[in-house]
Formats: sequence, structure tokens, C-alpha cells
Amino acid sequence: MSERRPKIVGFCCEKHGMDCVTLAARSERQYDSSVRLIQVPCTGRVDGIHILEALENGADSVFVLGCLEKNCYYDTGSIEGRKRVEYVKGMLAETGIEPERVEMFNASSSMAWKFHDIVSSMKDVAERLGPIRPGGGDSE
Amino acid sequence: MKRKIQVVICRVCSQGVPVLDVDKLAKTAAEAPYVGSVVTVDYACQSKTISSIVEDAKTKEADRVLVVPCSKKDVSPSLFQAYVRRGKINEFLIETVDLTNEVILPHREDPTRAQEKAEARLAAAIARLAALEPLEKHEEPMRTKNLVVIGAGVAGLEAAQVAAGHGLHTILIEKTDRTLKAPGVLLSKSRLLRAKGHGGNFELVIEAGEKEETLECAVIVVASGGDWSQGKGSLTRSCKEAMPLFRLKDSIDSGTLPSGPVVIVDTPDPKGSTMKAQDFAWDDALDLAMIAKRASPETDVTLIFQEMRASGLSELTYKEAAQLGIRFIRYDNKSPPTIDEKDSKRLIVKDLAQDEVVSLRFSTLSYASIPANPDNIGIADALRIPISLDGGIRRGSMQRGPVTTPRPGVFVCGSAMFPKPEAVARAEGKAAGILATQFVASGTVEYGGAVAEVTPEKCSACLTCVRTCPYEAPFIGAAGKAEVRTQLCQGCGMCAGICPSKAIDIHNYTDEQLSIETEAYLRGGF
Repeated sequence: MSERRPKIVGFCCEKHGMDCVTLAARSERQYDSSVRLIQVPCTGRVDGIHILEALENGADSVFVLGCLEKNCYYDTGSIEGRKRVEYVKGMLAETGIEPERVEMFNASSSMAWKFHDIVSSMKDVAERLGPIRPGGGDSE
Repeated sequence: MKRKIQVVICRVCSQGVPVLDVDKLAKTAAEAPYVGSVVTVDYACQSKTISSIVEDAKTKEADRVLVVPCSKKDVSPSLFQAYVRRGKINEFLIETVDLTNEVILPHREDPTRAQEKAEARLAAAIARLAALEPLEKHEEPMRTKNLVVIGAGVAGLEAAQVAAGHGLHTILIEKTDRTLKAPGVLLSKSRLLRAKGHGGNFELVIEAGEKEETLECAVIVVASGGDWSQGKGSLTRSCKEAMPLFRLKDSIDSGTLPSGPVVIVDTPDPKGSTMKAQDFAWDDALDLAMIAKRASPETDVTLIFQEMRASGLSELTYKEAAQLGIRFIRYDNKSPPTIDEKDSKRLIVKDLAQDEVVSLRFSTLSYASIPANPDNIGIADALRIPISLDGGIRRGSMQRGPVTTPRPGVFVCGSAMFPKPEAVARAEGKAAGILATQFVASGTVEYGGAVAEVTPEKCSACLTCVRTCPYEAPFIGAAGKAEVRTQLCQGCGMCAGICPSKAIDIHNYTDEQLSIETEAYLRGGF
């Protein structure tokens, strides 16, 4: 192990999110293998605790991928998901962890290019910020 | 609870491109906790292989199965059926891992790391599978096989025709007293008042003539048609002569269009955020602008818009219109076009492209027609389906289909969504008829399984879930705690994610199961 590899976790909804991943895989383009995808029924299911646990378990950046807001399979699911992600960002900022480590994205099942963009932007974040420093900001 | 997992790895699929070392993968899987047996097979979809692996699961007394097939969507349904029927394995304890699309294809240029990721993926899937619980699905017979079509227009009649052709008993609800040759029962001068129940077993209250009647049906098609809004906005208020596009068309057709410049604005209310022109309105606006320009080429025709949405082939019309000499001015809704206070025949607009204020003289001012059907509000309210800003029935996600609503068992077609040509309305009617037939074909409503469940002790009856659920499944029950109507629950888990008391969990996607999976997945090599 010469260099440290970034750890990226993605929560993908099983409708448009996972379909977007499948299409991205079939698009002959390669993306970084440090991405680990966890399937959820809908991004509305993602709770702050899941994102925080992923960070706790060593992820450098976490993204949530859901349907387009006007075309969500569960109607308002990806809007709820975005609210949750924004909430977590606020929480991270309070504890002194960079909020840009967590991001919400929307894609439809036909937007394969979008997934490659998401992976590269989250990888950039992970590489730029490095591992989360324990303790974060100055406590006490 | 005993937990014994059988892992089935399809050799051909996982090795389609020789990236992964399947034997090593099988060895890692065998070492994972709760794994009873690992089978590597060639062609997991062959019937001979299916019998042997199901037999293996039976002899090893496995109660859950992890299949690693080509891709999630290609896996043969007969494999699952064999496990459920012959292997007596709960259908919710059969999981699949899509290694092809998640690992092999996107990482085939780096086999070492692909192998690492595949092993971590498998370990995470095994950990998740071990944490799952067996679930039951329930069936409820449909009391009737009736189809109710609301609106006997082009789309509605087509839907009824198709469904009746497949043997559905169709009932058409029509608000006028037109006499029609309808397939099935036609209730004229009637309208929908209220609705109860869920897809498969609806109970409608309709007003037929003078009296109220209840009607049971399995599926509903909304084909209430569309109309143009007589919308009042900032523009229509300040200029009384402003007319919607369909009026402009009438006056061009009848030759009563006054000579002088024609100005077409994209909405009657440029200041507001509602009443935005739809894509199809752009086709009309461009067509009419060209008709007016061709009728008298010396007339100035100007189109004022925020966003030109000439989609598809209309792009060519847009180009043609520009070549004809029609002027286009784009504005920003922070500085919307207004009528000149000194001269009521002048429109002042800030051109976004040139960044300067233009004063346009006009003799005819028109605006894009905004669709609306006042009946839609009542129908949407009764059926609990969403309505769009401009008064059309809003359809659900395109993945569910273009004529579906977010509510299962309710379909929508034709101009009820927004005005559209007759041929399109007819095609949509046909689609809705077929989908309605498919919906009632089994004669039973299936529900339950991976749905939400409330822990009453934790519930604080804060109503958050009630407000959040798009399907209105949660409600506050007699005990003063939230309960979930399982028949309506779609298993999206939005309530579980939002519940501040953590009182709701969604089966097979519980907080605990998700953390176990995350933890196991991140433990592996990167």
C-alpha cells in the first residue's frame, strides 16, 4: 500500500439511482473502484444516521443519489432525501467536519454520464480533504 | 432463529470478462459467518442447474439464498419460484448481488481492486442477508372487476373500448348529457364526489343526475379532458384587450385581426411564478406567430419569453420563425414586461440579451394559453392524486409509465394532464385501457412484505409521517398512535427516514440492517 486510497460511499435509490449506475457500467467508461454503493428503496429512506455511520466507518465522502425531483418514483422521495442531506451538512459544519464531504445528487435512469461526474467530483473532495481528523475542530 | 445462507455464484456471468477470480470469491464467501454452502455453477438460469441448486439448499437446510447472477434484472424468475415453491425459502430472504454492473464492467481495467471490491460487496451482501427477517405478503380479492372511466371524451372512450375488449366491465362517468355509443355503461350528467379504498377495491360516490350513488370498482382511468384557463395575471389586468392564443387564432381565421404589430407573451402573469407556458404552448405560439407573419409580411411579430421550450421537431419551427423575421425577446422575471403607463398600446420589456429596455408598440397583445380544467381539482381531491400548477392531473414517475399517477390503480390519459392532439390522446387512452386491464388481471390485490411498521411505544403522534407519505398510508389510529395502512404502503421508507422519534421502520431496510451492511462493506479492502 503505497498511497492512501479515498473511500467513497454512495447511497443509491433502487429506482432511477441504481438504473443510472447500471447504465454507467454499460457505457464502457471506467470509474474509480473506491466507490461503494449501498442500495436503499428511496433516498427519502436515508436518514442522517446512515450518512454519519458511513463517515464513522471510514468513508471520506458520502453521496446520495436519487431520482430527478420532478420524476421521482415515489413522487416526493428525492426532495425529502435532499432535505435530510442538507440537515447532515449543517450537523457536520457544527462539529467542524467539512460539509462538502456529503452531497446529494439527482439523476434519471438514462443519465449515465452523470454518474461518472458524481464519482469524479466526490473523489476530488475525498482526495482534497483526506481522512476526517478525529476530534475535528477544537473541542473545549 | 437459525441462519444458514446458500451462496450461488454463476461462473459464466461473473467471469464473462475474465476479471474476477471466482474460486477465490467463493472461498471468501464460504468463510463468512452464517454461510452454509457456496455453489459455483455454470448458467444459473438453466432449468437443470436450478433443480440441483434448490436441492442443495434443501439438503443443507439453508433458509436464505444469495444469488450472484449476470445482472439483477436478467435473473430468471423461475429460479426464485423454484426456491419459494420447492425449497420453501421465504421470498424476502432471496437476495441478488449485481457484480457485473457494480464491479466487473466499471472496473475491468483494474482486476486486483475489482476483486477486492467484489469480495467486500459479497461480504456486505452476506451480512445484510443474515440480518434480514422473513416476511409475508397478503392477498385481498378484488370485489369487482369494474373499470370506471371519468370523462367520455376521445381518450376516455378509447380506454373503455380497449378494456371492454379484454372483458372488463366498464362504467363511463360523463358530465354532459351527450348521447354516445359507449362500450359498457354510460352515466351521463354525473360526476365523481368522493372516493375511498385503494387500488383494486375502490368505493366511489358519484352524483348521477339528482341522486348520489355508490359504485365499487377495481381500477380508475381519469380522462377528464382539458380546457384553457381564463387566467388573470398582471398583464391581463393592465391590458384589457390582451387575448389568449386561442382567441388570436380565431381572429386570424376570421380575418378580424387589426393591422399593426403583434406581440405574444409567454404567460398572462409574467410577475407570478404560476401559469407558465407548457412545451406544447410554444408550438402553438410559434405556429400562430408564423401564420400572422405570413398573412401580412410587413407586420412586426414579436415573441416575448423567459424560456423558449421548442422541443423536438419544433426546434425547426423556431428556426423557421426566426428566418421569417419574427423577433424574439427574452426577459427575466425580475424585470417582467409591463404596459407603459402613459401609452396603453406600448409594452416595456428589458431585453436580457441586449441588456437594454425596449418599448414595443402593439395593436394586438396575446399570451400563451394556460391549460386548466376546473373539474380536475375536484377529481384530484376525491382520488387523492396530485395536480400540477396549471391545473392538470400530474402523472407519476416515467418509470411507472406515462399514463400512471403516483397512486396505484389510478391511471390518467388525454388532455386531463395538459391539452394535446387527438391522436396522442387516443394513443394514451389505449395505453391506459391496457394498463387498467393488466392491473385487474390477477383478480387480487397483493400487499404487505417490505413495508413500514410503527413501534407504538416510541410514537409521539407528531403527524410527521402522515404529512410526508405521498400515499397517505400512515394515520393516527384509535389508540392515538400512528398506524400504517399496509394496502397503501409502497415501501419507500420516507416515513422511516423522517420519523423524529425513530418509531417507524421499514422491513428489510431497517436502520440496523443498513448499518450492518455499511459497516461490512467498508471493512473490506479499498
